[in-house]
Amino acid sequence: MATSSASKRLFKEYRGLSNDPPEGITAGPVTEDDMFLWEALIQGPEGTPFEGGVFPAELKFPKDYPLAPPTMKFLTEMWHPNVYPDGRVCISILHPPGDDPHQYEQASERWSPIQSTEKILISVMSMLAEPNDESPANVDAARMWRERRSDYEQIVRQNVRKSLGL
Amino acid sequence: MDPSFTLPDSTDWISTSLPAFEPLEAALRCEVCKEFYENPVITSCSHTFCSLCIRRCITSDGKCPTCRAANQADKLVPNNALREVVQRFQDARPKALELARIDTPSSTAVNDPGKKRKLDDTDIEEPENVRQTRSRQARSKTKPQYGFADAPIEVPDSEDEEEYIPDGMVKCPVCGKPMKEALVFSHLDTCTGSEEPAGARSTRSRNNTAFHKVQRPQRDPSPAPTRLPGLNYAMMNEKNLKKKFQELGIPTWGNKTLLIKRHTEWLHLWNSNCDASENRRKSKRDLLKELDTWERTQGGHAHVKESEFMKKDFDGFGHANTHKNQFDDLIRNARRKAKAPKAADEQNDAEGDSTTQAISSPIPPPPDALPSHGTQSSVDPLRPYEDNEAALASIRAEVETANRPQEQQLPYVNGEHGGTSEQAHLSEVGIRNPFGSPTRKLPMFEVPKSPVVDVEHSTNSC
Ligand SMILES: [Zn+2]
Ligand SMILES: [Zn+2]
Ligand SMILES: [Zn+2]
Repeated sequence: MATSSASKRLFKEYRGLSNDPPEGITAGPVTEDDMFLWEALIQGPEGTPFEGGVFPAELKFPKDYPLAPPTMKFLTEMWHPNVYPDGRVCISILHPPGDDPHQYEQASERWSPIQSTEKILISVMSMLAEPNDESPANVDAARMWRERRSDYEQIVRQNVRKSLGL
Repeated sequence: MDPSFTLPDSTDWISTSLPAFEPLEAALRCEVCKEFYENPVITSCSHTFCSLCIRRCITSDGKCPTCRAANQADKLVPNNALREVVQRFQDARPKALELARIDTPSSTAVNDPGKKRKLDDTDIEEPENVRQTRSRQARSKTKPQYGFADAPIEVPDSEDEEEYIPDGMVKCPVCGKPMKEALVFSHLDTCTGSEEPAGARSTRSRNNTAFHKVQRPQRDPSPAPTRLPGLNYAMMNEKNLKKKFQELGIPTWGNKTLLIKRHTEWLHLWNSNCDASENRRKSKRDLLKELDTWERTQGGHAHVKESEFMKKDFDGFGHANTHKNQFDDLIRNARRKAKAPKAADEQNDAEGDSTTQAISSPIPPPPDALPSHGTQSSVDPLRPYEDNEAALASIRAEVETANRPQEQQLPYVNGEHGGTSEQAHLSEVGIRNPFGSPTRKLPMFEVPKSPVVDVEHSTNSC
């Protein structure tokens, strides 16, 4: 039975995350049959309008992982400068260094095979706390975040309630 | 933990009496594959990776994954000392971990309470006791895996019988006969090892260590295989490539793109094997098997599922039996609590409670207690992830079972969030409905039957 180095490494990451989980983050493959599709839950960071929320996301890993990064997509409504309206997350660690759509990104922040799923999830968590509005995925959210912070926070809080089924 | 589990991890040490071994072991692992270094090589920027890992990285973008310095595959140099350390650590690991898991001092005196000292931090710093630990390792059931290095070493329980070996003298690693160091190699050519009656020798670990030093050159008599050069693919047509492949003895089917991919991987496998120590070097047949694995996972047969491996290892990882009841409780508990938010939905009160609970209980939600469905079961809020991995596995198994009859006929449907058409491709099938409501969707525990998005090489659209 063929086992790629990619799925071996993903399994290791899963073990590591389970043995030593970072606070506020849960992640693992959706089923045992497929190491390349993960689900993750990220807690909203305290002291932010996301506080109290638990946000499910999906990670899809390429067959040549970790040479190339996974893609990540939130499965609940997110109002955030760095999240596309369809949930896709756009942060530098998810961008391979070769492909540089945003000139402002430091190569050191971008994906490299020594990065990990845990680092992605931690980066996303801190992205929730501190949006990067230089090259936003959601222009409207970015503008609102800059110009009408309280409106922004109100939408976020509504989404938190929605994500909890309230 | 199942000791036969094949994918050990540095985090295995965290909850033992030797947590300091976690960073130690992490340092002996490649940052790319997270495995113990296999045939480690040093880059021109002084970073170390498995030969195969860095070769793949260099093919991918020509850079060191750690510092981004430009690197060339033909500048990689084997790191022999590290290779040795990693091998020794791996040999010592199972027993060390076993001991480290025995937490209490009273239960640490395992085999022979009269004689053996318990393994604790002090022991680690004390050479004498480290050696004792190794001796136990040497007598453990683990089978020799390669070469002389792992030849069974008989160690008497008594620590006082240290045999004096004069300077310049060593003992044959096979038969144990003392001799001048310079003579060992020629002796080894003829040594049958038959002189050694099991248990009669008192070869000590320290002596054994000395032999590692002297036997290495002896184990290296045959010339290392030659590294293969790259091909100028642009200058070659399919026919030329296939002819070349025949010479190399690798499969010749497929179009030019696939042939190039295959040849590139063959270079990775072949050339990294050239960085292996003599006693670990793989045969061409083994390499062809690895190429076949690549073919099935990333090459021309990449559609083949990898499920068997994962099932096996999840079982090894898992807790199938020991923790099963615990998980079942967890799931049951979560299900019960998951019904609360329905009331909250309808009555529009108690939301404060639900929210608080959700904050303090970020456990992996069972399928019917996903965040969108409200509160989750409560576990110790200080250790919210306790048994997390197991819970997930168990939950998934349940969901899988529950879904099997339905998923064939259910079409993909839109989730209740987002609602864009693009999301229809997601695995948002209403697999099981804890509340009897037909609109409930479970977005996270269903896998598409076949990949809906080609992620062969990930493309980032942002
Ligand atoms: Zn590696
Ligand atoms: Zn480097
Ligand atoms: Zn001999």
